[in-house]
Amino acid sequence: MAPPIRLSVPGTLRYRPIAVRVVAEAARLVSYAPPLDPQDPTLDPLALEVRHPFDTAVVSAFMEIFNNIAIHAYQRRGGGTIDLEITLTSDAIVIEVKDSGRAFDLDNVVPLPADLDEDALPEGGMGIHIAKTMLDDMTYEPGPPNLWRLYKRMPAAQVAVGRS
Amino acid sequence: MAPFEVHRTAEGTTLMVRGSLDINSAPALSEEIDKIVATRPGKVVVDLSQLDLIDSSGVAALVKLYKGVRNTGGALAITGARDQPLAIFKLLRMDKVFNL
Repeated sequence: MAPPIRLSVPGTLRYRPIAVRVVAEAARLVSYAPPLDPQDPTLDPLALEVRHPFDTAVVSAFMEIFNNIAIHAYQRRGGGTIDLEITLTSDAIVIEVKDSGRAFDLDNVVPLPADLDEDALPEGGMGIHIAKTMLDDMTYEPGPPNLWRLYKRMPAAQVAVGRS
Repeated sequence: MAPFEVHRTAEGTTLMVRGSLDINSAPALSEEIDKIVATRPGKVVVDLSQLDLIDSSGVAALVKLYKGVRNTGGALAITGARDQPLAIFKLLRMDKVFNL
């Protein structure tokens, strides 16, 4: 197994795009999603390519966890780092995210209503639901440091398609 | 290129959103949404065909627009959602509400 990918960024939203890009590229090493066509003049070579379902799940979940840390752990003021350790296998990704901010009460997250009609559309509280649902496993250990562990495995059918 | 554009015509208002609609870009869009709702538009079309990524903050901004337009007697349609944004709307079971 290759050594983990490590990244440390200041714990503010300003640095979020850097972390998201690293996670997206790491996910693509597992999904084998085809890259953008470098010959296509209409495409931005720096565009973030997130189309494969595996990449979509990993990036969507990670974005929410980064938001959560910057907003809740660091209260939008920064003051610490967000440390990533990304471990890749042939069919899975594990992302450990550490911060030294306030602990988060994961058990007190209110679930989304079961019946989501026009009048019940939420304007908040969706982030943890997105992360949990997108991943195969997500755990949180309050610290310090607080530790989020995100796990996503490629379905066997997608592994076969991605490497054919 | 601006992350969003608003076009107003006699038929209604079109909001085009590009790139990433997330916790960093949603506040600016939310201000624009306030302006759109203040005009009490009869019909609003949100074009997401050039939107690559969305997070819960981006979804919240669009829900705010949806509610604001409805509360003023208008109607909102979302078109062109694809890839990651469409997956998020489906996960949140908003695809049926927005007819995606």
